[in-house]
Amino acid sequence: MRLSQLIILVVLGLTPLSMVCGETSIQDIVDSMLDAKMRQVNITAAPLADDYNILRRTTLDLIGRIPTAAEVDRYVTSEDSNKREQMVDQLLRSPAYEKHLAYDLNLLLSPAGNSELQSYLEQAVTQRRGWDQMFRAMLLGDYEDELERQAMKFVKLRVKDLDNLTNATSSLFFGVNISCAKCHDHPLVIEWTQAHFYGMKSFFNRLFENGDFIGERDYGALKYQTTDGEQLDAQMMFLSGKAIEEPQWTSPNEEKQKAEKQQLEQLAKDKKPVPIPQYSRRAQLLDIALRGDDLNYFSKSIVNRLWYRTFGYGLVMPLDQMHPSNPASHPKLLDFLAKDMSDHGYDLTRLIRGLVLTQAYARSSRYDGENRPPQMWFAVANVKPLTPQQYAAALLFGARNPSQFANDDATKNQTEIDSVHAQARTLAVKFEVPSDEFQVSVDEALLFSNDAALEKDLLANRADRLIGELMNLSTDADVVALASKSIMNRPVTQQEQRVMMKYLKHRKDRREAAVIQLVWALLTSSEVRFNY
Amino acid sequence: MTLQNSFSRRRFLGQSAFAGTGAAASVMSLDILKSEAFSKQLKQKGKRVLLLWLAGGVSQLETFDPKPGRLTGGPFQAIQTAVPGVEISELMPKMAMRLKHTAIIRSLNTKIGDHGGGSRLMHLGRRDEPNLSYPDMGSVMARELGRLDSKVPDYVTFYTATEGRGNAVGRPGFLGSRYAPMFLTTDNKPQNLGRLESISDLDHRERADLRRALSARFAQGRVSPALGSHNVAYGRVRGLMSSEALFDITREPKSIQDKYGPSLFAQQTLVARRLIEAGTPFVKVSRAWWDSHGQNFETHLEMVTELDHVMSTLLDDLEERGLLEDTLVITLSEFGRTPTINGSLGRDHFARAWSATLSGCGIRGGTVFGSTDEDGQHVKDGEVGAAELFATIYAAVGIDPHHEYYVGSRPVPLVDIGTDAISEVLV
Repeated sequence: MRLSQLIILVVLGLTPLSMVCGETSIQDIVDSMLDAKMRQVNITAAPLADDYNILRRTTLDLIGRIPTAAEVDRYVTSEDSNKREQMVDQLLRSPAYEKHLAYDLNLLLSPAGNSELQSYLEQAVTQRRGWDQMFRAMLLGDYEDELERQAMKFVKLRVKDLDNLTNATSSLFFGVNISCAKCHDHPLVIEWTQAHFYGMKSFFNRLFENGDFIGERDYGALKYQTTDGEQLDAQMMFLSGKAIEEPQWTSPNEEKQKAEKQQLEQLAKDKKPVPIPQYSRRAQLLDIALRGDDLNYFSKSIVNRLWYRTFGYGLVMPLDQMHPSNPASHPKLLDFLAKDMSDHGYDLTRLIRGLVLTQAYARSSRYDGENRPPQMWFAVANVKPLTPQQYAAALLFGARNPSQFANDDATKNQTEIDSVHAQARTLAVKFEVPSDEFQVSVDEALLFSNDAALEKDLLANRADRLIGELMNLSTDADVVALASKSIMNRPVTQQEQRVMMKYLKHRKDRREAAVIQLVWALLTSSEVRFNY
Repeated sequence: MTLQNSFSRRRFLGQSAFAGTGAAASVMSLDILKSEAFSKQLKQKGKRVLLLWLAGGVSQLETFDPKPGRLTGGPFQAIQTAVPGVEISELMPKMAMRLKHTAIIRSLNTKIGDHGGGSRLMHLGRRDEPNLSYPDMGSVMARELGRLDSKVPDYVTFYTATEGRGNAVGRPGFLGSRYAPMFLTTDNKPQNLGRLESISDLDHRERADLRRALSARFAQGRVSPALGSHNVAYGRVRGLMSSEALFDITREPKSIQDKYGPSLFAQQTLVARRLIEAGTPFVKVSRAWWDSHGQNFETHLEMVTELDHVMSTLLDDLEERGLLEDTLVITLSEFGRTPTINGSLGRDHFARAWSATLSGCGIRGGTVFGSTDEDGQHVKDGEVGAAELFATIYAAVGIDPHHEYYVGSRPVPLVDIGTDAISEVLV
């Protein structure tokens, strides 16, 4: 059977997906399904982006920085027909890949500005732990295990506000924001009622902080009031509506409570964790979320988030509104990828690799025809604002003397690259984390326009900086070419060259200032601010 | 607060590279270049808002709702105002003479009695929610009353004290960073408004032109609201830099400087007046720290006297310039203070029955809305909450309080559903 036929059968639901996965790569299946949909809605996709663009895009997405001039040269001059796949695999092997993925996961999972989960995530990603393992560790980590102990920060950071813990867990891991259902049945989604919100919260209602640790009791009920004023006991209930029966329990008498209190005080004093009770409500959530039909929420949500991270738009938008009234643009594709995810140990890298190797990922973000296709068809690449870390790295690498990264000694090269990349952490705090409706603030434009420290960071005339190197060049054409290549990772166009040469020529009397201003204009240009 | 901090302070707006949560605004409905129709006519009218934020909780009994002669009344008397039958604290003699511009709302019951929760409530007009980042009053005003191409900042906040600063949220939430405040903490001048000496004015302007030319080429054939906002932000830089002089009160005649006086609060209020005059739609000047759990009466003697002077000078100044009818001046705290006087001669947090004032634009001056019982322990009539107060504020400057923003498919009304403006205090 030809691939296209197989895809049609899969789309029509006539062929079990398992038949496909073993034989065909993720990227081929994704492309076939996207293409089929485009044909159906009669849309022409944008052409593929050029090598310069693809290298910059992939490098930013996978390791969080722009490529060096030497890396650009190597990639575009290579005539190997398999060079894109090799480039992707090389990036995926790099330690910077793990750091960058962990950084993005931390932005996702931590409250704003908090990086307490970063170290856990970095190690978990490095050890290729599955997303299900990470989820378990973050909700019910084993305190005896040094790594999982760090993962428990997820709960620790939210345990003081169980509504927040409930909703964060539901939004971040299951793609379902149920906060509206707290005070009343969800106004837009008939499936979500107050019983769902309090049912989900019941998985957490026995948690408490004890010193540095999270403990859980084996008793305690959650009550809530309906909009009609009725008092109800909440029953553990997953988003699917499946309620969970639990064994009988009784509240301890006063004497037992006193003993429990003493025991907890002693544990806190000894800096020891509280033992997990035999019957843990949290464990029930993990079981149901990672099992059978109910698995879909968990698998689909991580697929949708990784898809969004790669393409700048989700298969379901918004990402935390994955409910039946808000279907995916490509439901079968989402089903397929979710199944592939759970069949392969929730290997995040497997999916990431598949997605960045698609033709869809390699399309140009430029669409010159009329009737630009809507984002949901993935016919044109999106222009994505850089994260603080990516932007800082793009600026710092762009502002460096490119010959620094072009040593013959590969180890020395890597050391230089790592050292500049590490500095991006410091600069990154000056920029805002983009949401999906991100707008650049005027504060950022003022910072670049008038801040002395930033000027010193990026525009110094020193040997190790781009400006130092540009000052050694004799012709304006050379200055323009090298500056463009270093900052924009591509050759300059004729029109750009004309504009920039004119700028330099008008400032013959103050060449250093002119070169610095040229570099400023390139560094602050929109092309550098976005992944396109 | 440094710029660096102000960036991280705003981090909660966005979630992450691949969060894309409901915390962000809807796809098209908040595109800054769209939905102009709603606010266009308002913008033409040039309405403005100046919020005097009395951080820590000012006592209603020592200001606008005195209870002389009662056990809860404290040592200060009430005095007759220019409005027959209306008395306020004797600590405010100047305002007493100018009450014709001001409406007093004496019946706030806002229920939240801690600084953090109360402050957020009185900035957002509603309870905060972890999964939807609501804009504060200033950002809403910046969006609805400001101009996209404005050469002056459209939302400026002064908060010099450190107590309570973190609670006084200024955030654009789902409206997007275009409407974030300039947050001034250490200086009366915003950071990065002045050109560095290392570059001439001509070069500063022309390198921005070069940047624009390069970016315009890149934008061809590419569509993204974020990309658009990048160039809009840079496009505002030169205009904003030219507004630097607005922050310099030495450019005011000596007589005006003298009228306001030397206190920091007074000077910042004078800067606020300069901004308002130049077209800035929203300025907040914060005065801290009113949290008088002990020695309430000494604290209020000093601070209410200053407030009385600054507020009355401001109203006079606005009136003389013909600005008062288009400028709404608000006094507001996170809550009031307990009628019961504690053992340290202090008053504690009290959200059950307290006061705020609205003066100028759209306000029926000289009115008193609502009342408290004779000891000030409970609202006697006209009970209102934060939502009604915010509805009234929006209505006063011509914004329909029932207007809805769309966040994704979720309609978010400006104020909580089922609440209306207090028509009694509106013109």
